[in-house]
Amino acid sequence: MRRALRVALGAYATMLAALASGMACAQAIPLEQAVKATYLYKIAAFVEWPAGAFESPGAPLVICVTGGDPVGAVVEEAVTGQRANGREFEVRRLAAGAPSAGCHILYMPVQAATAARLEAVRGTPVLTVTDAARDGGAQGIVNFVNVDNRVRFEIDLRSAAVNHLEISSKLLNVASRVRPKP
Amino acid sequence: MTPTTKKPAGAVSVKPALRDLRSPMMLVAAVGALLLVIAGVAMVHFSEQSYRETKLQQVDAQGRILASTVTAALAFDDRSAAQEYVNALDVDPQIQIAAVYDAAGNLFAAHARDPARPAPAMLPSRTASTDGDGLDVTAPVQQGGVTIGTVYVRSLIEPISRRFERYGVVALLVAMAGLIFMLLGAAQSRLADVNDRLSRQGAELADANRDLRAQIEQREQAETALRQAQKMEAIGQLTGGIAHDFNNLLQVIMGNLEVLQRRDLVENDVAKRLVAAAARGAERAATLTQRLLAFARRQPLNPKPLDVNALVAGMSELLHRSLGEGIVIQTVLATGLWRVAVDANQLESALLNLAVNARDAMPSGGRLTIETENAHLDEAHASAQEAKAGDYVSIAVTDTGTGMSRDVLQKAFEPFFTTKDFGKGSGLGLSQAYGFMRQSGGHVRIDSEVGSGTTVRLYLPRIADEADAIPAVDAEALPRGSIDRLILVVEDDPEVRAHAVTMLRELGYGVVEAMDGRSALGILEATPDIAMMFTDVGLPGMNGRELADEARKRRPGLRVLFTTGYARDAIVHNGRLDAGVELLTKPFTYAALSTKVHRMLSGGAA
Repeated sequence: MRRALRVALGAYATMLAALASGMACAQAIPLEQAVKATYLYKIAAFVEWPAGAFESPGAPLVICVTGGDPVGAVVEEAVTGQRANGREFEVRRLAAGAPSAGCHILYMPVQAATAARLEAVRGTPVLTVTDAARDGGAQGIVNFVNVDNRVRFEIDLRSAAVNHLEISSKLLNVASRVRPKP
Repeated sequence: MTPTTKKPAGAVSVKPALRDLRSPMMLVAAVGALLLVIAGVAMVHFSEQSYRETKLQQVDAQGRILASTVTAALAFDDRSAAQEYVNALDVDPQIQIAAVYDAAGNLFAAHARDPARPAPAMLPSRTASTDGDGLDVTAPVQQGGVTIGTVYVRSLIEPISRRFERYGVVALLVAMAGLIFMLLGAAQSRLADVNDRLSRQGAELADANRDLRAQIEQREQAETALRQAQKMEAIGQLTGGIAHDFNNLLQVIMGNLEVLQRRDLVENDVAKRLVAAAARGAERAATLTQRLLAFARRQPLNPKPLDVNALVAGMSELLHRSLGEGIVIQTVLATGLWRVAVDANQLESALLNLAVNARDAMPSGGRLTIETENAHLDEAHASAQEAKAGDYVSIAVTDTGTGMSRDVLQKAFEPFFTTKDFGKGSGLGLSQAYGFMRQSGGHVRIDSEVGSGTTVRLYLPRIADEADAIPAVDAEALPRGSIDRLILVVEDDPEVRAHAVTMLRELGYGVVEAMDGRSALGILEATPDIAMMFTDVGLPGMNGRELADEARKRRPGLRVLFTTGYARDAIVHNGRLDAGVELLTKPFTYAALSTKVHRMLSGGAA
């Protein structure tokens, strides 16, 4: 009973979230992708980067997206006008093989050379986000999963620590799974 | 007697209610209680205010905590997590609704205690407010400086009944404090009342005590006066008895000596001188017994209306002679002096005694003042002096002599009490004045100060009747009687009777004798031409007075002349002779008898 209710509510909420993000062309892009794009910038508010991660206090928070469109466009669309901790967002689309230097969030929606990229930014203040729900491959610090037909995420605190990132416990509370520090 | 004024008890006390209001303590207590009530109300009001503020802060804090914890759940659309958070507020029974709204104001998660009152679907517009029974708080849900939603909490305010239960305790305490205040006030007021009454009673007690002391003092004075009077009375009885007996003896001696001298029975010159000396001695002895009798108030008095001023003025020559050159005599005589009725001879005698005393108190000379005036004695003074209140004529004899001490003053009236050297004074002068004045219805008062002098005042009672003229002094030669004027002499003592009979016969009267009342009455009946009865008062059996009464029953016009050395009450009432009765005092002289008998027989029927 309770589960059924939860599923229904989840679907409803997902739809609402999509609407809230103000996506005009919601029809063309899968709702799930839009939600994930929204989560990207929302997660930023719960993550603390080390002091040296930004060039200046007003420097934008750079979200790098691999895999090209349509995800890149969706993300660009989602962060427009949004802020996190006073910073604007900047979205970069990374071509295959392009370096991920200057990225604060590295979103890898498709499993292409994910492991290599994860390895590349290992130890640097980059929040890696993977979409393992679909592929079950290598996972970033944040890993979107689909639970009961809802977009949730897992958090790997061990990886976060390696990359010198502090994740708010609030975020952990809503994570579907947390991989603790060793 | 000092009149005591006492307030009536009712005048002092006031109605209790009025008294309570008047009491300042009661007022203070009432004001205190009122202030306490005001303070209590203020406290409740303040507490209520404070409670609401605290409650608001508390709920606001709960809202903020919820807003802070729910951020991630809201951000990542985790309704189950958000629901857990809002459900957590269920532990606070006063939280009615806890709800989370997203940035667009749509309900995201909610907990409602009462299913009938669910959380509103859209965020309420109010931010933080309280209404009748509850209070609403909203708090923004922020993360990374971005507001992503709102938390809405509605809490019940503690039920008014519960709050008033709390305030009830305060009210109870306030009421108790007020009550204690009132009680203390009432007790204080009561205490003040009691103190007041006590002090009043104390004052009354002091008054009563003062009265009592005054009364005791008065009583002591009265007792002293009474003792003195009793002593004088006792001495008077004794003196009177002795004097009476002496009088009779002296009558015999003097009478016989007179007979010897008158009839020239003594031819020898030496014998004549001796007889004359014996007669003088007897005269002096008679004078002494007169004084004793006077003191004992048994001196038969012959009071007549009298001009005191005239009497004093007439004594001037006598006084000058008696007092000598060293003493200035001054008389101050008041005009319009009231009339008195006293025995003139006794009064003269008294004044002379006083003058002699004054002279003796002024051995190196001085001034003697005799002053007459009208005097009114009121009740207060009268009781102090053992006298009756009323109008008196006072004769004050004042000297500038040595004065008397208090001890001497107390005994001054006693017979034979004297401060003079042995042989110089008899100690009877003041006694005579005392007895005489008492017998005359007056009194004597002595004021004396050692070193300054003495004033003796004689108070003679005023008489209303001034009709009687003062009889002129009879200066003619001894009137002679005639043999046809028959006089009945009644006397139990044969020697005294013989003497009287001899004298009357010498005067030319016819005399019949009787030795007691019974035989006298027999002679009266048998001898109708008896013109006068001359009788002793102290007869065995029927006394002189009874005899006179009986005789006058049989012979209403009969003149009666009493003779006595010892009057008693048989003929003397209140110091006065009864009407129609004449009295000749023993021992009497030839001349006195002659004058008396002649005047009685030549006057109209008594």
